[in-house]
Amino acid sequence: MFERFTDAARQAVAAAEGESRGMTSGHIGTEHLLIALAAEPQGLGGRILRHMGAGPDDLRADARRHAGPSAIDPDALATLGIDFDEVKRRVEETFGPGALSRGRECEGHIPFAPAAKKSLELSLRSAQALGDRFIGSEHLLLGIARADQGTAARILQERGIDLKRLEAAVAQARRAA
Amino acid sequence: MNEATELAGEVSSADPAVGLRAVASLRALLESLERLQVASARKQGWSWQQIADSLGVSKQAVHKKHGRG
Repeated sequence: MFERFTDAARQAVAAAEGESRGMTSGHIGTEHLLIALAAEPQGLGGRILRHMGAGPDDLRADARRHAGPSAIDPDALATLGIDFDEVKRRVEETFGPGALSRGRECEGHIPFAPAAKKSLELSLRSAQALGDRFIGSEHLLLGIARADQGTAARILQERGIDLKRLEAAVAQARRAA
Repeated sequence: MNEATELAGEVSSADPAVGLRAVASLRALLESLERLQVASARKQGWSWQQIADSLGVSKQAVHKKHGRG
């Protein structure tokens, strides 16, 4: 399936792992895919998100809020004067990269959460529905929004970005292209 | 952990949402650090008793939490 991904879509999927690591989540969720997509400069999906006011930093803050009490929130630690990045740097110096999240993942490789897997499937279906043979960042965006069990779908809804709006934005951008 | 929790209560914002979130994050960080240190100690041949003494908890507690390999 990945061979049909455009460069932008592929890059977003690859960058999602980094987003997960940064939040020490232990899995790659739809929220990490969404953040990575918003941070990807070239693709249509990222441009649509940023145009709707959902940049990577906004979405990271949303994702942290949704992560619940078991996750480490660097901003919250900063209110106590704890510099999490510095803690992380020192721990990794001793125990190696990704050490702080390793307890919740298997040997460096971070697994996709079920909803994230589903969103990749749904991006394939979104591409098919639009009659495209490739899977682009815009299909990925629609797939993420359609994975209604995922955190990203909830984040988008809270921001008033529903599926209809996204579909309209994608259709409009495709007409303009 | 009790010390850390107290510290959080003293220093943090008067807004409970902010303060509690900071405590929860601190606890998550603490759990991660404990996992790493215990695993490292075991790898270096420390006994459960030695680890328990260093953490100031019972051997049963530490074994129950970090045991099985």
